[in-house]
Amino acid sequence: MATRALFLERIRREVEKGGEFFPAVTASRPAHPSDAAELVKRQMAERWPEALDRFKVEFERVAGVFHRVAGWGDVPDVIVEIAREKAARSVVAWDESALGLDLRPRLEAEGLSVAVGGTGAGDENARRRHREDSARALIGVTGADFVLAETGTLILLSGRGRPRTTSLLPDAHIAVFDRTRLVESLAQVGILLEALHEDPTRAMSGAMINLITGPSRTADIELTLTRGVHGPKDVHAIFVGMP
Amino acid sequence: MSEVRFPERAATALKDRFLQEALTIATTKFIDLRKESFAGFPDGETLRDRARSIKEATLQKLHVHLGQLADNVERLGGHVHWATTGAEACDIILGLCRDRGVRMVVKSKSMATEEIDLNEALEHSGVTPVETDLGEYIIQLAHERPSHIIAPAIHKTKGQVADLISDVAGRRLPADPEALTAAARIHLRQKFLEADMGITGANFAVAETGTVVLVTNEGNGRMVTSLPRIHVALMGIEKVIPSMTDLAVFLAILARSATGQKLSSYTTLVRGPRQPGELDGPEEFHLILLDNGRAQQIAGPLREALYCLRCGACLNVCPVYRQIGGHAYGYTYPGPIGILLTAMLRGEESVKDLAHASSLCGACKDVCPVRIDIPRMLVDLRQHLDEHKIAPRAERLVFSLLRRVLTSPATFRMSAAAGRLLQRPFARNGRLTGLPFLFSRWTQARDLPPVAKKTFHERWKDLR
Repeated sequence: MATRALFLERIRREVEKGGEFFPAVTASRPAHPSDAAELVKRQMAERWPEALDRFKVEFERVAGVFHRVAGWGDVPDVIVEIAREKAARSVVAWDESALGLDLRPRLEAEGLSVAVGGTGAGDENARRRHREDSARALIGVTGADFVLAETGTLILLSGRGRPRTTSLLPDAHIAVFDRTRLVESLAQVGILLEALHEDPTRAMSGAMINLITGPSRTADIELTLTRGVHGPKDVHAIFVGMP
Repeated sequence: MSEVRFPERAATALKDRFLQEALTIATTKFIDLRKESFAGFPDGETLRDRARSIKEATLQKLHVHLGQLADNVERLGGHVHWATTGAEACDIILGLCRDRGVRMVVKSKSMATEEIDLNEALEHSGVTPVETDLGEYIIQLAHERPSHIIAPAIHKTKGQVADLISDVAGRRLPADPEALTAAARIHLRQKFLEADMGITGANFAVAETGTVVLVTNEGNGRMVTSLPRIHVALMGIEKVIPSMTDLAVFLAILARSATGQKLSSYTTLVRGPRQPGELDGPEEFHLILLDNGRAQQIAGPLREALYCLRCGACLNVCPVYRQIGGHAYGYTYPGPIGILLTAMLRGEESVKDLAHASSLCGACKDVCPVRIDIPRMLVDLRQHLDEHKIAPRAERLVFSLLRRVLTSPATFRMSAAAGRLLQRPFARNGRLTGLPFLFSRWTQARDLPPVAKKTFHERWKDLR
């Protein structure tokens, strides 16, 4: 096997030989990512209604189902309705601290079993149990850390109380968010990602970020578009907030 | 790889009527989707220029970015391996499988693993590789190779797919894409849950943050990086980019170029193994950095080919690819960019025929998201093959004759007259289809227009 030193030394020599094909620069990064991210948030505090309209259009274009409720207390009703349509008996959800609400009282009253991706470190057994619950659940409920309007995309950070598989293993994924999560452009997402990594020990606890744009899809058999090949067949977005 | 030479492979493809139809439908659809997507995206052209610039700027400091990437992956608890050749990369993965008792591996679509023939290596060592991208899965069941970078099974009919998946399911399935996809979902879901190791490629790797980026539509990339206890990512060294800001630029143009989507269904950013407090995700993360002929092109004639994002846009527009499809090229990477990548990874000898599988029309350069000048490099490659006597002798002889004819007006007039006379027995429907001797190699795979009744000079004289 090559060693790091030899491998990189060889590349360095080639790089020096190669010189410049043309004068080129990388994308200019924000000098102070956290400040730039604050600015994005301030801008969006004004512009979120337009962003929400655009999100709805783009999300529906990629076959997402958009819901809007007045307050957090109304969210479980939507979930119960979706569960009824799918004849689902079990739900897996992010922890209350990551989701913004505890679904259990209302959902369990409807006879649904709710598995929660808890915040405890979790031993091997807890992990196995949670995985089995997630693989069995027909519905997975998560938050969304950023919601990107121009592409209809839900952006989820994994971490404590926010398992990466909640939005992946169940047949239907439901993401719940309010106006503070909305952004307009991929360029803004770039800034927010820079800020997240400026001090990742503080900003994020997990190892994965997923940008989710509609349901799982394939066109690998004679170009026929088919949904839910591995991941969710249906993706729902529940926006919490009055106009 | 293939014992049969390119002209014969191309001739076979040209006779396959289903393939011809499938290629036309697929490539036309991809072209339309891409066009539509960029038409409604005014920033697209600027972003393409920026993406090209980022790729070039990264190459100018490649060793620095790779060093930084490795440092950050290790800081996050991942392991970094360095592979100069494909064989070394295979050995690293086999070693991991051996040491950790891995019996089954689930794979997300990766051209890099195709490039190093990883599946064969795994099978020889008693490890079962399972391809999980639906197209790749179909191809694996059929014991074939992908025919398109992003649509690996476009050459298969749904009837053929039904036969393959019915065998696995143990019951007869209808030739209906929806039913077949559902059956594959059930089968592969079990594999995701059982596998010990997940292997992926990487669309990008962000040096600043130590993040490997995967772009998929099916979600198999997410499964493979979430469920097995070990995740191994194999990436060519040219996939590194400096920052998250750069990543945002590439994401804006990659899916648009490939499938016309604004973003693919899933863009997955992986930074190391599961972190403390996480309930799921792999315990171990390994990143393998693969050279395999890339480094020597940093200062070589194929440098620009190192910008390639593997979007497949150049395949769809290429008049040659549209006729013959991916298998006829005979190697991992088909299409116009594939000729250059094959030259890079397997040496020039391997493309002495393929170098001519392009009309140099320039359509590939027009659609390339990072504007790689593929035609220029193909011309240089042909010249190089000729100068170093790698090109077939017959070809070199024909072209040196042609040069004499074209550079002397007297010989040109004489040859035109002789050509008109000699071509008579071979002309069919206004095309020359089966020439003898030296010329037969051309007409095996391509028609030739006949010499016109009058040369341009003669017609010009008549007009005056």
